[in-house]
This record gives sequence, C-alpha cells and structure tokens, in this order.
Amino acid sequence: MLENYLPVLIFICIGLITGAAMVVMGGFMLAPRRPDPAKNSPYECGFEAFEDARLKFDVRYYLVAILFIIFDLEIAFLFPWAIVLEDIGVFGVVAMGIFLGILVIGFIYEWKKGALEWE
Amino acid sequence: MSFTEIVFYAFSAIMITAALGVISARNPVHSALFLVLTFFATSGIWLLLEAEFLAITLVLVYVGAVMVLFLFVVMMLDINITVMRQGFIKYLPIGILVALVLVTQMVLLVGPENFGLSQFAEPALKAADYSNTRELGRVIYTDYVYPFEVASVILLVAIVAAIALTMRRRPETKYQTPIKQMMVKKSDRLRIVKMQAEEKQ
Repeated sequence: MLENYLPVLIFICIGLITGAAMVVMGGFMLAPRRPDPAKNSPYECGFEAFEDARLKFDVRYYLVAILFIIFDLEIAFLFPWAIVLEDIGVFGVVAMGIFLGILVIGFIYEWKKGALEWE
Repeated sequence: MSFTEIVFYAFSAIMITAALGVISARNPVHSALFLVLTFFATSGIWLLLEAEFLAITLVLVYVGAVMVLFLFVVMMLDINITVMRQGFIKYLPIGILVALVLVTQMVLLVGPENFGLSQFAEPALKAADYSNTRELGRVIYTDYVYPFEVASVILLVAIVAAIALTMRRRPETKYQTPIKQMMVKKSDRLRIVKMQAEEKQ
C-alpha cells in the first residue's frame, strides 16, 4: 500500500528542495546584501509603528472559527461513509442520518441564535 | 536499512526538531508554525503505519482548521512575552519535577517493554489495493455506531458551548438591512408637495 504514496513523498522532497533553493540562492547567494539600520527598520520610508501589532480582537472571530472546525470534523466522518455506502446499506444511511440530524439541530440553534450574523 | 526506515527516521527527526522548536521558540506565532510542521511529520509517520485515513485527517483537520484557530488566537491576543517570562527561575524546580514525573509515566506506560516488537508481531504489509478508509468505514457505521452517534452529540455540545461562551450582542451597532432597502417603495420616501408658483418679478 505504501508504494502508492511514493509520488507524495517525491512531491514533498521536490517542494522542500525548491523552497530551500529559492531562499538560499535568492537570499544569500545572488542578491546583494548591504543592510543598514534604516533598511532593516519595519517601515523604511514612513512612520515607525505607533503601537504594538498585537491588540485585542473581537471574540466573534473565534466563534466563526470554532463553528468551522466543528463542521470540518463532521465532513471528516463523511469520507469513509461515502466509500463504504454500498457495503453498509440502509443501516449505515440511517446511522449517518441520525448523526447529521443531531448536528443539524446545532446548526439550527446557531442560526436562530444569530451566531452566523455579523451585525 | 530499508527505504521505509530511512523515511521513518527522516520524519521522526523533523518531528522531534519541530517539537523542540514549539517549546523553545520565543515568538508564539513561530511556536504555532512549528506545531504545524510537527503535525505534518506525524502524519507522515502515521502514513508509514498504513493509517492513511488518519494521516490525511490529521493534515485536513489539525493543520487545516485547528492550527488556523491557534494562529488566530495567538496573533490576536496581546500576549506580553516579558510578563509571561517573569518568575521563570522561581517556577523552574517545580516545572522540572512535573516534567520528570510525566516522562517517567510515559516511559513506564508506552515504553518498549509494553509496545515493542517483542510484544506484538510486525503486521504484514498490505497489498497495493488495500484501502484503510474502507476498512474504517465498514466498522465505524456498523459495529461502532453508538460511539459514532455519541461523537455527534459531543460536537453538538461544542457548538452550544462555543455560542454560549462567545456570543456577544451589540445592540448599539448600526447596520443596514438590505431586504428593507430593496422593498422600499417610492411612496415611502418621496412626498410631492403642491405649492403656488412664484410670481415673476
């Protein structure tokens, strides 16, 4: 079975080598490097940053992200189900129906609660 | 050393290096990115164990979704690193003690005497047309249907908990309602007033 994944391994290796070669050649070998304090500053022409980039964000971003993760996990359960659908028959369809039904309750809840609204 | 072993050691080396990077990087964002690399290397090792579905799910769910959330959280919280580093020396002894206890427990529980090749024979390599996903699917939706439904209830609890903890209403926010804008009639907005024409002077 592992031999099917040899192309993936080759792809990873080529990706790593290409990326590393670009960084090394572009950053260290070919490009001229004459840094000075002004060039190294975050804004070479313009104001220095007034405050820290880290600031408190609205918590609603997390809510969207968490809801996304939950439905992402739900999708992960659908892949093996779709592959064996012919073997497991009606029982499997009903099992997945209950699974999705329970999650649809959650979906209706978040919809009615207004968690998907951005005000 | 076979080719599979070389791949295994390469992935293990990447994984251990990245895991060390997670706990030693100064910038929390770098830590999170090292964790992404750790997950990638772990999924490679799982693939070597022929757990292809788990390996791909690890990349899809953890790298694709969970780490995005982690990066979100790390980038958005205003973590003051110097404040967090205060008292490092003070808490060092108890930290080392806890770490030692954890390492001892892990060595005792998952050490080679419990899970080595002497305890379990090496499983035979599967044929090229073997589908791990198919095997998983055959048991999840039949033999393990009850835990499968429990998983959906846990996800439902997670939805409700996330909404209960983070939903904030902002009644003072001003926003437009596009449907009301679309449904507006000429008579709602425009008033034609008859008035006397002005005399020319």
